[in-house]
Amino acid sequence: MKKLLIQMTIGAFLCASAAVATADSQGLFLDKCGSCHKRGGQAAVVNPADKAGRVWEKYFARGRHPVDMGINEGDLGAVIQYLADHAADSDQPASAVIPK
Amino acid sequence: MKKILFAPALVLTFLGTALAAPEMVTLPASDYKAILEQLKTLQTRVETLEHQSPTTKATSAAMPNKLAKDVELIYDTLDEVETKTLKDRINLGAELRTRVDNFKVKNHLYFSTGSTGTQESNDNSWTNRFRLNLDADIQKNLKFTGRLTAYKNFADSDSPNADVLGDSNNAHLPDGSNIKLDRAYVDWIPSNMPIPLAITFGRHPSSEGPPFEIKENRKRQSTYPALLFDGEADGVVATIGLERYTGWKDSGIRFAWGKSYQDDDDVNSYLDAPSGLDDSNVFAAFFETQIPGINDSLLVLSALRANDLVADFTSLGITPAANIGDIDLYGIHAQANKVMGSNFALFLSLGLDKTHPNGTTMSYGPYTMGLLNSDGTSSHSGWAVYTGLAYTIPSPRLNNPKIGFEYNHGSDYWFSFTSGSTELYNKLATRGDVYDIYYIQPFNDNLYARFGYTYADYDYALSGYHIGDFGDSEEKLRNAYFLMDCRF
Repeated sequence: MKKLLIQMTIGAFLCASAAVATADSQGLFLDKCGSCHKRGGQAAVVNPADKAGRVWEKYFARGRHPVDMGINEGDLGAVIQYLADHAADSDQPASAVIPK
Repeated sequence: MKKILFAPALVLTFLGTALAAPEMVTLPASDYKAILEQLKTLQTRVETLEHQSPTTKATSAAMPNKLAKDVELIYDTLDEVETKTLKDRINLGAELRTRVDNFKVKNHLYFSTGSTGTQESNDNSWTNRFRLNLDADIQKNLKFTGRLTAYKNFADSDSPNADVLGDSNNAHLPDGSNIKLDRAYVDWIPSNMPIPLAITFGRHPSSEGPPFEIKENRKRQSTYPALLFDGEADGVVATIGLERYTGWKDSGIRFAWGKSYQDDDDVNSYLDAPSGLDDSNVFAAFFETQIPGINDSLLVLSALRANDLVADFTSLGITPAANIGDIDLYGIHAQANKVMGSNFALFLSLGLDKTHPNGTTMSYGPYTMGLLNSDGTSSHSGWAVYTGLAYTIPSPRLNNPKIGFEYNHGSDYWFSFTSGSTELYNKLATRGDVYDIYYIQPFNDNLYARFGYTYADYDYALSGYHIGDFGDSEEKLRNAYFLMDCRF
């Protein structure tokens, strides 16, 4: 029973950590991308499920974002990872993180 | 660009230094801060440009505006197409077969009544069979394959809706949630294993196995030779590749486990039925290889043990169902699809069964029935041979039609797991002789017709049953058929 409780605690901790990581990534996405890509913003609304994960990676690898995002390399990597994790072909596609 | 950006900085620095020594220049603090801020901005801009990819630089610098826009448009289109492609996780295929049979049967023994019919026939028995084939390359080493099937007589659904209104509204009225799951399995090749290993789990490709692909005019459809196993099966299979050890192409050994019967409680389906039966477990091993020295060939050695076979005729009022014993099956199958490089395909399949009854019998009408016996204890052996050849006529004008002949013989007490046979009368279960001739006329890569004639002369009654010993038979079956088959 004690073992089970420990396992459940560890499991809950891992789940919570994952949730925090996701929330952080989402926050970063909203902060860095959502400032322009929003309804009535400077650019069209964009969401992770607009493209497949591999397509997002290629998009940034090709430097296709039309304007300087003013984002450092580490944050950009985290945003791309978030986009891939919630892309159209992922297990958890996110299509309305930024409302359309 | 870098040089240009650095120039103002250098000028400013030089000015500052030059003027500082002999002559002092006094600047308002706000101007000085503004200059420093400008320097910092320029430095950041230079660093950003340095980190951009060469592709970007080339695109933006080298391309005229119109061309750059076109490239962006093409990229956007590619994004849409690639996203859609990546979302299509399952590939779909379909096949449709319409078949008409003419049956004539003489002296058939009816199990439910114990009487022998004189002559029965069906001038035109029409069926439709639709299959939806699915597959997905989930990962490099993970593949899914599935098949959903609807197979029906013309104008005959036997559904509650059919009682009043016939068959014509069967798919247009609410009538349950069932679809027929023919096969659904995953092939997994674990990485970094010391030996080449593949694990297959799910509902297996265990029907229409070799050599049926010759007659069915398609690729091999099953792991198991049809003479021993032709039906649907749930289980787990481990395949070990042996080619690197034996040097024989496509050689490997398979260990299979599955259930041919799982007892459950009809009320709580996750529980055994109270005082229920033992499950029937099937264990099998197969060695297969391309026959050394013969291209496009196959050799399969099979051994199978099925424990606790069940006789369940509760639908006929025979209660209770019972475990009646175990059975062993052994087989050898050899096949060459292009004998000596010719257009001939040839195969030979041998099967052997041996029963281990447990003493249980059940009674029905005039019969007392155990495992292939009428006393519950007698152990029997049976055997079967299945052979045939086919010739593809090299005539491009006629789309290379094929003609084939098959023969099979089963002894008294021959039994194997072929209840899922494509031939509705379970041809390979026959305890007697069967002669089968057919002609395949392809019209294109997706459509062909086949017509054929089969004659079965039964020596022993109720072939295909694993219970009872029903004695000699004078039954004859004649079947002429025509089918159209479309796959895409």
